[in-house]
Amino acid sequence: MKEQFQHRVTTSFFMWFDNFLLTKGEAFSNKTGEFLYYEDNRLDSAYKAYGSPYKTWVTDSSVTGATIPTGLFIGGNFSGRDDGVVLDFENGRALVSGSDEDLTVTGEFAVKDFNVYITNDTEDDLIIENKYTVNSRLPSASYGAIAPYDDVVPAVFISTANSTNEPFAFGGLQNTSVSVKAVILAEDTYQLDGVLSIFMDSVNECITSIPMTGYPTTELGDLKDGSYSYTGTEAGYTDDRKFYVDSVTTSKLTDRDRKSLAHEMYVGFIDFDIKQMRMRFA
Amino acid sequence: MAKLSLQVREALKRQVPKVAKKDLNREVRKAFKRTKNQMMKEFLQLPITQELMAGPQASNISGTLRGVTNLFSFIGFDAGEKPVDAIIRALENTNIQFRKELKKGNKLGAEYSINLPTPEQIFVMTPMPWALGRSWARGIESGISGLGFLLRKNNRGRSGRAIQSRVKVRGGAFKPTPYITAFLQKYKKEFECLEYKK
Repeated sequence: MKEQFQHRVTTSFFMWFDNFLLTKGEAFSNKTGEFLYYEDNRLDSAYKAYGSPYKTWVTDSSVTGATIPTGLFIGGNFSGRDDGVVLDFENGRALVSGSDEDLTVTGEFAVKDFNVYITNDTEDDLIIENKYTVNSRLPSASYGAIAPYDDVVPAVFISTANSTNEPFAFGGLQNTSVSVKAVILAEDTYQLDGVLSIFMDSVNECITSIPMTGYPTTELGDLKDGSYSYTGTEAGYTDDRKFYVDSVTTSKLTDRDRKSLAHEMYVGFIDFDIKQMRMRFA
Repeated sequence: MAKLSLQVREALKRQVPKVAKKDLNREVRKAFKRTKNQMMKEFLQLPITQELMAGPQASNISGTLRGVTNLFSFIGFDAGEKPVDAIIRALENTNIQFRKELKKGNKLGAEYSINLPTPEQIFVMTPMPWALGRSWARGIESGISGLGFLLRKNNRGRSGRAIQSRVKVRGGAFKPTPYITAFLQKYKKEFECLEYKK
């Protein structure tokens, strides 16, 4: 099936959300450290995984101050993509080609304060049922590689709830409204209030419509073209009709209810109403 | 036929509009009251309103949960809460106010304003019990997750009934249904069409 409106709105919103949080909130921290080898059965045998203690890394070079890695140091020498290194930004690790499992790998990267995920899970699954690894950004006594693939918190889970078309103008122009919900799982109220505040002020923001091909990472989590900048990507689609944030409502899970959860996370909700005037099937 | 004197004719000219205005005002207010009563009656008869008013023991007469549990428990209200009362009060506060007189030729009219609440005002006064920034009334229209139900269940069923359900209730179980927005749109039109002709 070729890309439809819903695919495009999800991709565009996700990319905008990530950039908005990173730029408006400077919601990242630069880290330096050693990457530790671990076994990953799901990985192609041509690679060995060396993980950092944090995921997800910032990919967006339009975020001022964030260190976007282009390679890492193996035994003190810099190795980049041309040397067979794949940087898995999603899982916070480097995939080194070869069979060595005892390399000394170090590197620099920026880790997001909040991982952002697209999800189909319901709010009750996200908040009550699911179990998460807390990937705290604060230094802890145990220094190990973060396990790949599973979602970790602090995080924001985005889902598109429902969409409606309303006739807008003669000739078939529709006012398409997409309701997007975000669930925030934060470690403390400072983090939670920060995210809620940033997105409360996102009302009337315009979002560039970016197709799925504009998504920056590959199946291995590395950047498609070696670098990615949100502002650079959106500049390629300025002629496309934009979405806009028509309304935003933020709220927090009450403290009384939070205490009944099995985890210690602080929970918040952001409900967006995203609109675009468009012709059907466009 | 005897002709009225000029003085009498002038006096009549001055008095007729006053009498007509009084008459018009009375009739408009009567028509407003009739429509408002009809609005209150219809709101109280809506299946969602009735189900919520019946509290934690209600059956799912609105069909929003496919018969599993009821809206009161699903949203997560505490036993004894009266979530619909705020909406009833807002609707009851709907009033009519004279704005200005309208004259066109020998026709007499008047403009009135009616302060029917907007859906947004209703959404503000209907907070979700577990996330006060969200509105359960809006949720009825756009979808509600099963979070309130499960949280209350974890809290030993504050709504009294939630804990008794053996069926796992999930957000996907809820069927969004038109409620406040459609209802107020209908009565906005009804009030706009209030007219009195004589």
